[in-house]
Amino acid sequence: MKKLVVCALCAAMVIPAMSVSVSADSKELVLYTWENMFPQEVLDGFEEETGIKVVYSNFDTDENMLEKLSMAKGGDYDVVVADDYIIETAIQEGLVEKLDTSKLSGWDNINPLYQGQFYDPNDEYTAPYGAGIPLIVYDPDLVDIDIKGYNDLWDESLEDSIALTANYRVINGITNLALGQDFNDQDTDDIAKTGEKLLELAPNVRLIQDDNTQDSLLNGEASVAFLYTSQVTAALQENPDLKVVYPEEGLGFGVMGMFIPSQAPDKDEAYQFMDYILQPENAAKCFDYIGYYCTNKAADSLLENQDLVVPDSVTEGSAVENISAEAEEAYNKNWTEFKAACD
Amino acid sequence: MKKHKSGSVWMILPLYIFTIIFVAGPLLYMVALSFAQPKAGHGVEWAFTLANYKKILDPVYMKTFTGSFQLAVTSTIIICLIGYPFGYFMAKLSDQWKKRAMIFLMLPFWVNSLIRLYGWMIILQTKGLLNHVLKSLGLIEKPLRILYSYPAIVIGMTYVLLPFMILSVYSSAEKLDWSLVEAARDLGASPFKAFWTVSFKLTLPGLLSGVILTFIPSMGLFFIADILGGNKIVLVGSLIQEQMTKGNNWPFAAALAVVLMILTTLMIMLYRKVTNAKELEGVG
Amino acid sequence: MKKKNSKLSGFYLGLIFVLMYLPIAVVIVFSFNESKLPVRFTGFSLKWYQELIHDSAMIEALGNSLFLGVVSCLVSAVIGTLGAVGLSRIHWKTKGILEYISILPLMIPEIILGMVLMAFFYMMNLPFGMLTLLIGHTVFCVPYILMEVKARLAGMDPSLEEAARDLGAGPFRAFWDIILPLIMPAVLSGSLLAFAMSMDDVVISIFINGPRLATLPIKVYTQIKTGVTPEVNALCTIMLIFTLLILFIYTMVGKLTKKKTKQ
Repeated sequence: MKKLVVCALCAAMVIPAMSVSVSADSKELVLYTWENMFPQEVLDGFEEETGIKVVYSNFDTDENMLEKLSMAKGGDYDVVVADDYIIETAIQEGLVEKLDTSKLSGWDNINPLYQGQFYDPNDEYTAPYGAGIPLIVYDPDLVDIDIKGYNDLWDESLEDSIALTANYRVINGITNLALGQDFNDQDTDDIAKTGEKLLELAPNVRLIQDDNTQDSLLNGEASVAFLYTSQVTAALQENPDLKVVYPEEGLGFGVMGMFIPSQAPDKDEAYQFMDYILQPENAAKCFDYIGYYCTNKAADSLLENQDLVVPDSVTEGSAVENISAEAEEAYNKNWTEFKAACD
Repeated sequence: MKKHKSGSVWMILPLYIFTIIFVAGPLLYMVALSFAQPKAGHGVEWAFTLANYKKILDPVYMKTFTGSFQLAVTSTIIICLIGYPFGYFMAKLSDQWKKRAMIFLMLPFWVNSLIRLYGWMIILQTKGLLNHVLKSLGLIEKPLRILYSYPAIVIGMTYVLLPFMILSVYSSAEKLDWSLVEAARDLGASPFKAFWTVSFKLTLPGLLSGVILTFIPSMGLFFIADILGGNKIVLVGSLIQEQMTKGNNWPFAAALAVVLMILTTLMIMLYRKVTNAKELEGVG
Repeated sequence: MKKKNSKLSGFYLGLIFVLMYLPIAVVIVFSFNESKLPVRFTGFSLKWYQELIHDSAMIEALGNSLFLGVVSCLVSAVIGTLGAVGLSRIHWKTKGILEYISILPLMIPEIILGMVLMAFFYMMNLPFGMLTLLIGHTVFCVPYILMEVKARLAGMDPSLEEAARDLGAGPFRAFWDIILPLIMPAVLSGSLLAFAMSMDDVVISIFINGPRLATLPIKVYTQIKTGVTPEVNALCTIMLIFTLLILFIYTMVGKLTKKKTKQ
């Protein structure tokens, strides 16, 4: 009997160990980004074409990504997709590999509109992967007022009914816009005002969540939501009656970029992956899936959802930019205070 | 006699080494870290400072401490009120039913606690089961908005931690000598008085250890506030996690952890003082 | 009078049990729902089970968790059992402190353990991955087994071992043949509890997992945060059935062996 137990335990140990070791043999690539950023179809297609298995590893916020990447000293991960401002920091800290564009046959497919951006002015490090403008979306059946801009979010009738995305810089930024300040205002007195204004918004907030925030509009938890572009797209697909607002006080803007970390273990595979994504057919599938504005010019005509092809004025909005440590700390504090007041 | 001992040393060695390297080591490292400075960008500057502790005194962060404390107290009281009678009644069951109840109690442990919390999400949401039932019973007209609120977090905490309270009350009530209660009754005590003077007193250690076992984890279970609270309430746990993984400020996270740890240690010491017990009941 | 009391307490126990199982029942019901949103039951469907089987990431996470749970429990069982027996025999001055530190992981909030281990592994330059997860899980599994075994030893007759030694058994034989069989139930129940905790842990794992690795709870956590599909419900249902099956076999085996010994 005792032997039997020992055998069973050994078997239980060996079987999972085997499955782990088998997967270690084949070629792999660690892709590090948010959940649901690539359609399975494209990842499978890549594996079929190249024999490289994509290990999809995800983070929940940009800051989290930077922390893990710094801990790994630019290693461990092969391809990262993240937001513009965090990439700027990553580049400054030497965590990003300079791209050898000769290895990227699809490089010229990139829409030049999204090149030369502040975080990578000479396009040395990144290829854009989607762009967006965060917008207000609301259900006109449940909201009595006509929402035109950020300031309307403070309206008393919206008590406990707003869903917000969770990027503290963006939320501070739109509050700045609501106050008529600069999106990236660095003046600490101004930031203190922003904090006060945010506290007034607290009673209206129902939830703060970065992922799938649009679900709250669809399942009735919230009647107004401040959403990223991908979420706006998803919300409209589920319920075309929702109203989309381009806030009158000014727009935010963001680009996501794809880069290879400086110490990536499988750089060749990383280049292959990047190039695969830059091919128009694949890019079109990706953008149709994630619902961000298409950053691949050659893919524009292939998109099923033509709403994702946007006019050139998109880059006029204000992006989150890197600011002084002092200002950052102040925004951070605003955020903590705001969240605590939301209950 | 000496021979016996040399064998025992070998037995205890793995525990000694493991504990010192992987429990004491990290904890001491945390204390050291809490006096260091964060380096701009990433990493730690080893220069002594008390700034991290001073920062905790900032009203924003003090509020997270009092908030977490409040939540922990609220949840613990509710857990006591539900869990104590449960453990007590369970100990009074027949042996066969005791076994069955135990199985029923342990079974949910094998379903991932996150999935169970997700079940509560489905129940509590605006268009969820609870509102549906209440509405069809005609008790409410407008759906209750419980999800993403304080009560939702308390429900989640209570749900996840209740079994620990039940187990520890049960294990001390099980050892209770019921003839003592009978004796008290025979001497003319009312049922309530008999319970209060005999049963309650004798099961108090179990209750108190249950309090410890529920109170301490409830200070750190950040994911409940995340999932059921709509990410709106900042608990010490979430703050530590944010400072570690996003805020890039390990020393401050370490200082928060040290303070939290001192608070919990104080509670355990208080518990030992009150009950004279060396160990928590119900863990073993 | 007594009858009425026991009925009332029975009702109370039943009620709380119902509340305990309600969320699980809801999750199971919605695993068979056709629609993705868990709001209304739109029709019976097994499609989420099919998707689960084809979700290689989820299956891999389950494999990781099982491996992690089994290995860390085995290691902890060895360390904890030997440690508990050893502790009962020696009388060093440092014994009390050691004992306190070794059960400390149970008495501090998980979040502290998670962050501390993360910082510590980083300092030691250990690559984050299965190894760090194994160490981390062993840290909090040891105390469960240690305490169970200690409680069992406390109720044991010490003369048993003495007798064995007097009859000429070496310390190893005495431990293997006399002590171990006696404390086996405690080792098993401690290990089971530790295994359950390991399979359920998010807070610590989230700090110390590596880039290529996700455990099941971490996968579920990200899913719940980023939009759940009823795949998670399906997984929960399967795991519950699996547990019930094991429980059933366990009790059946128990009944059979009991009958045998009676004969």
